[in-house]
Amino acid sequence: MGDIVTIKGLKYGLQLTFAKGASFDDVQANLLNKLQSGDGFFIRGTTVFVPKGYFAEEQNETLRKMFHRHGMLFSTELKRPNLAPPSRDTSTKAPKVKASVEETQKMMVINHTVRGGQEIKANCSVLICGNVNPGAQVIAGGSIDIRGTCRGFVHAGAFGDKTACVVADRLMPAQIRIADLIARAPDEEFQASQAERAMIKDNQIIFEPVAR
Amino acid sequence: MSQIIVITSGKGGVGKTTTTANIGVGLAMRGNKVALIDTDTGLRNLDLLLGLENRILYDLVDVTSGRVQYKKALVRHKKYENLFLLPTSQIKDKSAVNPEQLVKLCDEMKKDFDFIIIDCPAGIEQGFKTAIAAADTAIVVTMPEISAVRDADKIIGELGRADKENVKLIVNRIRPQMVEKGDMLDMGDIDEILSVACIGQIPDDEKVVVATNRGEPAITMSDSTAGQAYKNIVARICGENVPFLKPQKEGFFARLKKLFGLL
Repeated sequence: MGDIVTIKGLKYGLQLTFAKGASFDDVQANLLNKLQSGDGFFIRGTTVFVPKGYFAEEQNETLRKMFHRHGMLFSTELKRPNLAPPSRDTSTKAPKVKASVEETQKMMVINHTVRGGQEIKANCSVLICGNVNPGAQVIAGGSIDIRGTCRGFVHAGAFGDKTACVVADRLMPAQIRIADLIARAPDEEFQASQAERAMIKDNQIIFEPVAR
Repeated sequence: MSQIIVITSGKGGVGKTTTTANIGVGLAMRGNKVALIDTDTGLRNLDLLLGLENRILYDLVDVTSGRVQYKKALVRHKKYENLFLLPTSQIKDKSAVNPEQLVKLCDEMKKDFDFIIIDCPAGIEQGFKTAIAAADTAIVVTMPEISAVRDADKIIGELGRADKENVKLIVNRIRPQMVEKGDMLDMGDIDEILSVACIGQIPDDEKVVVATNRGEPAITMSDSTAGQAYKNIVARICGENVPFLKPQKEGFFARLKKLFGLL
């Protein structure tokens, strides 16, 4: 029974290989058994790879659902789930990443001030040479770099990229979002005096000064 | 070469129509031939500010729909012979005039006038789009108030989208005392957000209300500070380099207090 499914650890997850002649039902039963036994292999958030084309599409779907129920990700392609540096928790945000690798590496350049009521949306990173005025929105799949004052609403890593950041010469947004975290401006007025970067640290959005 | 200027603001009640009337009269006083077009169909006011309501025969809608020649609808100002008003209809609404019609009309009028000034309705809907269509310069009127500045910002964005790059700013109804105390946005705050060339800073002046009710724009009153500010704006539109008005001097007691404070 134990030989039906072989598990091999990879850099980005676990690869499954199956004994020759094993039927899908056998594999499914075996995997379920392993999952429920709480074997150390199946940590929540791990990606499980199954060779592409080994099972039919609907069978893959069944396995995907089964792994999802146990908090794991299922993939038929052997590759890193996303761009983020390979650390333990990277795979947790994989399901939200919609933009492809090439897209997040691109950068959109806006060469004017974004005024109230205007909206910039991009799957990639955004560079704004101008201000982001109150009432304006900038939503980017990647990071946001503002060469000016930011007073509007900014959302970096809109598809869940927690490594995204927001940089501005004067960073005083009404509200800032990075991935799924939200922070808002303090109720009392404040004046940013130098360039700052907002990013996620310990599951919180923090501001830190940067040199430019 | 004639200039077509639209006066707009986004927010209502900041003084678009007052500004239009004053700049129009000011330009005419300098000997320019000026036409004012009111595009606030359904809520027309420009005729009242100029005291011309009872002389209206035809309106903008009659002209754009081809019922009459525009020359027939023009109302000559009673005092300034170079100043003409093309009023709009009070019965119809904004959908009665479309941008193409206004562009065609302005093209036609360009030959006869040095300045065509279009008074824009509040808002960013069709009326606004119609009003800005023909203009080559836009003057955005705002007040030192956060909502008016926000709307002005939006309007400048909309003007940019319509490829109107020549945008100027007028800040209306400034209260120097409040600015000094820090209770009102000052020019620096406004400029930081809007970053548009400012051609006028108009102090809040009760005489403007008097002027409006009388149908004689404040620019004609020699003792009005707002009127003086409008005169300077007109000079700047004509290409002169005029320094901005200094905020009015503090009262005697305020200065005395300061003096003692220093001691």
